[in-house]
Amino acid sequence: MEAVILGSGRLTNLLLPTLVKDGYHVTVLDDDSDALERLAAKGKIDTILILEPHIQDYLQQANIDTSELFLAMSDDDCRNALMAQIARYLFNVPMVICLLDDPHLQELYTELGLDVVGSSSSDISQNVRQALKG
Amino acid sequence: MYAVIVGSSEIGFHVARALLAAGHEVVVIEQLRYRCQLIADELGSSVVQGDGTDAETLKSTGVGRADIFIAVTNRDETNLVACQMAKHTFNVARTMAVIKDTKNEPLFHILGVDLVVNSTHMVVTTLEEGVPGRPLLHLMNLKVPDLQLVSISIPEDASVVGKRLDAVALPPHSFISLVVKGNHATLPSPDLIVEGLDEVVAVTMDDEEQTLYDILTGV
Repeated sequence: MEAVILGSGRLTNLLLPTLVKDGYHVTVLDDDSDALERLAAKGKIDTILILEPHIQDYLQQANIDTSELFLAMSDDDCRNALMAQIARYLFNVPMVICLLDDPHLQELYTELGLDVVGSSSSDISQNVRQALKG
Repeated sequence: MYAVIVGSSEIGFHVARALLAAGHEVVVIEQLRYRCQLIADELGSSVVQGDGTDAETLKSTGVGRADIFIAVTNRDETNLVACQMAKHTFNVARTMAVIKDTKNEPLFHILGVDLVVNSTHMVVTTLEEGVPGRPLLHLMNLKVPDLQLVSISIPEDASVVGKRLDAVALPPHSFISLVVKGNHATLPSPDLIVEGLDEVVAVTMDDEEQTLYDILTGV
C-alpha cells in the first residue's frame, strides 16, 4: 500500500510509525531539504524535495496514481487545501486527509467534502487515525 | 458592479485601476502595508490590509454583495482558497483567478472558479511566437475551452507539399478553415494542392495542436 504525505512536520513524525506498522510504503514531500533529511534518517520511508514549478510532477514521482492515502500535513493551510484537492480530483486518491489550522477553512472544506483535521485539537494524530479508520 | 480584488502586485494594481476607470466599485485586499498605502495613494481605492483567504478580512470588505471576485496574488494556492471561500462561504457569483502552475488549470475549472487565467502559458506562448521562424501562430482562443485557432506556415520541404488536401490525414477534432497562398485566401476544397509557404489557418484542440503541427510541417 502506498501513502503520500505533504509536509515533514510534527504531525508527520507522529503518524509515520503507525502508517509503517499498518503496512504502508510512505513517501514524504516537503520543500525543506533539512527536514526531509532528518526524517529520512529514521529510515523506512522515501522523501522527495519539492520545488516550483510542476508540483504535480513530484506527486506522480511519489506514485500518487496508485496511492491509497494522501495526507496534506504542511504548515500552510492554502497549500494543504490545493494539494488535497489535486490528490482527490486529479489523481482520484481514495483517501485524502487535509490539515487546516483556520476554523473557517475547516468548515468550508468539510462542507466541500474533504476529510479535515484541525491542528488546534488536543490530540491531532488521534484525529487522523480516526479519519483513517472511519 | 462591485469587485473585490485579492493581491495588489502588478496585475492586481492594473486590474483595480481599469475597473475603477470603468466606473466600478473596487476594494483591494493586500497583505503588505506599504502596498496598501500605494494603492490608496495612487488609485484612491478602498484597501483592506489582510489575508484574502481569511473569512473575517473578507467579511470586512462586504464581499457578500460583490458581483465579481478576482484573486491575483502570486500564489496559486492562495488564489484557489480565496476563490473557493468567496464562492461557497460568501456566495459571490463570479470568481476569477490567475495561476502560475499550468497543470493547476484543470483543477481550478473542476472546483468552479469561473475564469482561470493561465499566466505562465500565456507568457510562454507569446514569447515562443516572438522567436523568428516559428511556423505556428496562435491566432485566438475560441469560447469553447481547449479550442483554438492557429496559423501554420508550410515549410517548402514538408512531406505534405504536393498533396491534395483530402489526402492529408488530420487529427479528429482539427479542421483546416482557410489556406492563404501568397496574398490570396482560398477555401480548403478537397482537391486543393498544398504548396510550400502556404499559410494554413486551422481550428484545433490543445491536445491535438502538436500532432497537427507535425503533420503539416514534418519533413
